[in-house]
Order: sequence, then C-alpha cells, then structure tokens
Amino acid sequence: MGPLLRTVELFYDVLSPYSWLGFEVLCRYQNIWNINLQLRPSLIGGIMKDSGSLSAMRFLTAVSLEHPDMLEKVSRELWMRIWSKDEDITEPQSILAAAEKAGMSAEQAQGLLEKISTPKVKNQLKETTEAACRYGAFGLPITVAHVDGQTHMIFGSDRMELLAYLLGEKWMGPVPPAVNARL
Amino acid sequence: MGPLLRTVELFYDVLSPYSWLGFEVLCRYQNIWNINLQLRPSLIGGIMKDSGNKPPALLPRKGQYMANDIKLLRHHFQIPIQFPKDFFSVIIEKGSLSAMRFLTAVSLEHPDMLEKVSRELWMRIWSKDEDITEPQSILAAAEKAGMSAEQAQGLLEKISTPKVKNQLKETTEAACRYGAFGLPITVAHVDGQTHMIFGSDRMELLAYLLGEKWMGPVPPAVNARL
Repeated sequence: MGPLLRTVELFYDVLSPYSWLGFEVLCRYQNIWNINLQLRPSLIGGIMKDSGSLSAMRFLTAVSLEHPDMLEKVSRELWMRIWSKDEDITEPQSILAAAEKAGMSAEQAQGLLEKISTPKVKNQLKETTEAACRYGAFGLPITVAHVDGQTHMIFGSDRMELLAYLLGEKWMGPVPPAVNARL
Repeated sequence: MGPLLRTVELFYDVLSPYSWLGFEVLCRYQNIWNINLQLRPSLIGGIMKDSGNKPPALLPRKGQYMANDIKLLRHHFQIPIQFPKDFFSVIIEKGSLSAMRFLTAVSLEHPDMLEKVSRELWMRIWSKDEDITEPQSILAAAEKAGMSAEQAQGLLEKISTPKVKNQLKETTEAACRYGAFGLPITVAHVDGQTHMIFGSDRMELLAYLLGEKWMGPVPPAVNARL
C-alpha cells in the first residue's frame, strides 16, 4: 500500500495576486506530489476588512458546491481577468464571461450566477472564510497541510519549498518539469 | 575571462530573525554562486520609522504565525533559531542599537570578522536567549567569534563616535532608498539592473535573477556551520 494521500487546503481570493501564484504552483504539483488539493474560495475582505471580490468569490463558492470539477478553471479565468488582462470581475457579464471561458455553458453559468445571493452560498463563503481565520490567517493565500496528524498553516506563495519539506516531497521550483505551464 | 562577479548586498539587523535566516543562506551560497556578498548592518527601527511600517509581531495573528514559522524554519534551514522567552522585552523594548553600532565598527575596521561576529550576536539573542545590549554581552560575542579581548574592547569604545553612528545611519538610509519597509532586504546588482528582494524566502528568485542554481536553504557543497 502506497503512502497516504495528504490533504492540502488552499484558501484564496481572486483579489489577491499572491493567491494566484500559490494556486498555480499547487495546481502544477497536485499530480506530482501525493496530495489531495482542496481549493477553498474565501473572502480576503473577511480577513482584512476590505472587499472588492464579493460576487466573484460567491460565484466560486457556488461552483465549489455544484460543479467542483470546474473550480480550478473558473478560478483561473477570474484571475486572468483581474490580474492579467485588467478586466472587471464585479459585473454579472464579467463573471459569466470568465465561466464560459473556463468551459461552462452559458446556461450552467447563468444558473450558478442566480444562486450567488442565496443564504446557502453566502453562508458557505462566510464559513470558509471563518475556517481560514481559525487556522490563524491574517491575509491570503494560506495553505493548510494535514500531515502525520499535524496541521501546518503556511502564509504566502513563496513558501512552497517549505511545504514540500513538510510533505517529504521534492521541490523542483515554481515551474516543475513534469507539467507544461498552462499559460 | 569568467563571468563578472555580481554584487549582492544584504541589509540586516540582529533583532530580525528572518535576517538571520537570509544571512546564513547567502553565506552558504557566497562560495557557490559567482557573487560578492556585502554585509550591511542596519537598524530595523529606523526603517520602520521611515516607511511607516510596524513590526509584524505587533499584530497578534502575525505574532502567532511567526512563532510557528520559526519552529518549522529551524529544521528546514538547519539553524538553531528559537524565540526568546520574553519576546516583547527583548525585541520590542531592549532593541539592538549598541550591537548594530558594534557591527558597524567591525565593518569599518575588521570587515573580515563581520560575518562571524554577526553570527555570534544572533546566536545570543535568537538561539541562547542571552542579552546583546550590555557591553559585556557584545564583548562575549566578539570573543566567541575569534576576536581578541583587546580588539573587541577597542571597537566597543568607538561605538558612540560620530563616525560609527553616522555610518549606521547612512546604511539604514541606503536600505530605505532601495525601498525597504522592513528587513532583511537583499539587493542584487545584475546586468546593470538593481533588484531589491524582501525577506528570507525569496532566495530561489534571487538565484533565478543571477542565473544560478538553487539547491535549497542547505546546499550540499557546504557543511552547515551550525
């Protein structure tokens, strides 16, 4: 029997550029390391008292609840808008455009958009953000690794080598050779 | 003719634990990479004041994070770093003015000793939880580093001279001009460009800028000195 899969949670907000960097590195390593990467859309505003990504993060929360297999791609397209193409992410059309770019059908995307103000979605985002706070977050991204019965919270996108050390895995830099950079 | 030596400056204060981590990594790599490492003793208090920043530990969650972080990095970096029992008294109240003036005097008169004396001061405050503010403490660190008692005493007598005080002030201001809002900062001069990198966890990025190979915080070609 091989080593147990270790759960690694990434709490992030698309408003946070370092969240994007940490996200891409972990996405690259999720098929190289023996980990189960769990993406946790959160609100940096809830951790810091500032807000600008509320609709986008609620949308990602809805995606995480109904189509978790799409969460990585839709997250990436929202970052591409705000932190690469300097495009809006607050308007409904903006969020739909990101979802469709990620491969969602217009109907699927619209359906999720209609749910972003429901108590279920609002509460889930609130709970995820509170979970980050309970782990000790003072900003985002935070990566939480569950290893050998211990929990380690690591802040920022520049500590992935430390994460590798804690996991007993090999660090091969931010662009590991086994993966073609998707961007 | 081989590639030109690139100058890499490290601005640091012994009060700063992450400065120790960055310092040890750069000391390990100075004989592996094609760099000329220049150590720049600075005053973190002066940088905080000038930039309007605050010590991160003053935010409770950041203080808690630092305590855990230092425990992990102790093993990852193989440096015997540990929090002093009374962090606020040692770090926030007592400070490091005399120690950094002493290191400034060392940098002016015996620069070859600067690495070792810096290390012994860190060992006192950030490993053995010993004082670094009293004259005897500073002398003890200097002697542990290999200085004679006479040499150390001579330098100690100079720490309140205008020359030493001004040099420390100028070095701290240089860090501010590079954009520092804390310490450590590493300033790499590469191909006519200047890059300022904050923290001890960006050395892989530094390697990338230098076109050098990153082999982790404990590279194999060097026996960890500690």
